[in-house]
Amino acid sequence: MQPGYDVVVIGAGPAGSVAARTTAQAGLSTLLVEKRQEIGAPVRCGEAVGRDTVARFISLDPKWISADVDHFRVYNALGDCADMPPLERTLVLERKIFDRELAHSAARAGAEVMVKARAAGFTQLEGGARGVQLVVQGEPREVRARVVIGADGTEAQTTRWAGLKSVPSLRQYYSAAQYLMAGIDPDPQVCQYHIGWSLAPGGYAWVFPKGEGKANVGLVISPDLAKGKTAIDYLNLFVDRLFPGRSVLAQMVGGIPVTNVLPRMVADGYMAVGDAAHQSDPLTAGGITNGMHGGLFAAETAIEAIRRSDASARFLGRYEERWDAEFGKMYRRLLRIRQALLKVPDDKLARMISEVARLDGRNMSLPKLVEIAFKTHPQLLIEVAPYFLGQ
Amino acid sequence: MVMEKNGSRVAQGSKKLIVDYDHCSYCGACVAVCPPDSIVLHDATLLIDAATCTLCERCIPVCPTGALALREAVDAAWV
Repeated sequence: MQPGYDVVVIGAGPAGSVAARTTAQAGLSTLLVEKRQEIGAPVRCGEAVGRDTVARFISLDPKWISADVDHFRVYNALGDCADMPPLERTLVLERKIFDRELAHSAARAGAEVMVKARAAGFTQLEGGARGVQLVVQGEPREVRARVVIGADGTEAQTTRWAGLKSVPSLRQYYSAAQYLMAGIDPDPQVCQYHIGWSLAPGGYAWVFPKGEGKANVGLVISPDLAKGKTAIDYLNLFVDRLFPGRSVLAQMVGGIPVTNVLPRMVADGYMAVGDAAHQSDPLTAGGITNGMHGGLFAAETAIEAIRRSDASARFLGRYEERWDAEFGKMYRRLLRIRQALLKVPDDKLARMISEVARLDGRNMSLPKLVEIAFKTHPQLLIEVAPYFLGQ
Repeated sequence: MVMEKNGSRVAQGSKKLIVDYDHCSYCGACVAVCPPDSIVLHDATLLIDAATCTLCERCIPVCPTGALALREAVDAAWV
């Protein structure tokens, strides 16, 4: 007889841990498995999140907060910069500790948490339940689940087993590289964004303060525009220009889908969340709190499905509806904005930022920004405007 | 010899997708863009299934560290 759980969550990143915590809190028997030997490592992330948004999921704790930021500074490749107020106050996290705390909160809520436990496949059982083949510390083990939540990241296999995997185009996939650098002393209140196709083709670069003279210095690029160079090549060029000779304490790399979410995120007895479901924001590729929302919505749908003894794809479709109500419109806009930005030539992009940089911060207003965009590259407005006017 | 595999023409026995483990960071960026799902990331192991790989090369520019390349399979040092 296989051990049975109401919910098995595969992957203990933020999306998976929030899902497991939510179902465990509702009294469902929950198993959370992580293939790596350590939750939170290796980090593959810029680590910036909205402060109020993350606070909806976990009480703010200085032990996983590296910096508390109230300004965004946007640079062009010429070094001109414009200060922008962020949409919300932003935190730079220490993901290793943050991820572990979230998994701990799932464990405290009653979830069983395992590391070095990878999923190796699914079987469809009678009554819509699923068998999940695990390999736990090298030993094969099969468990039953009424609902499986796939939170297994960019490299997800559960989406493939569930028949939901969709392969992003190279234009809609970011290749990312980042160094944790020492001795660069950036302004601890400011997140820097560097925009220019020569420094990060199809993407952007960033400098996020990490406290004590450290910073995450990273970038994302669109692989099809990279002219044979890798994300690390572009990062090395960026770092040589801004911070030559400084020490690197850690190197982080990864891939992020910026396609908008999978066309289907559910199958019978299965829901995909986080990067596995392509839930990263399709412009900036920010994915931490977006994935946590995915985990929460999927878990709440699982609770209801189990209460009604109906884990069919049809019922679990409520999770997709919930996602779409919350993020659908915004994601379609962001996707459209990125597509329009990619058509702006490098020199015009630089000029746009130079013009904004000339504005006094107090004179910065949406009409003023629209005026600048109109002056430098009217096509951008023509392409983006319909998405702000009603659609 | 050229043959059909998963709808693509493959020059069998001439080239092979190879991981350079001095560069690979096991981030899994390549996995998501592989149409035939020939790449699997375990904890710190990247596995390529040469039997299903169509040599489409989509994974090569996606790799942040440049760890993937097509090489002549006859070069024993790379196999």
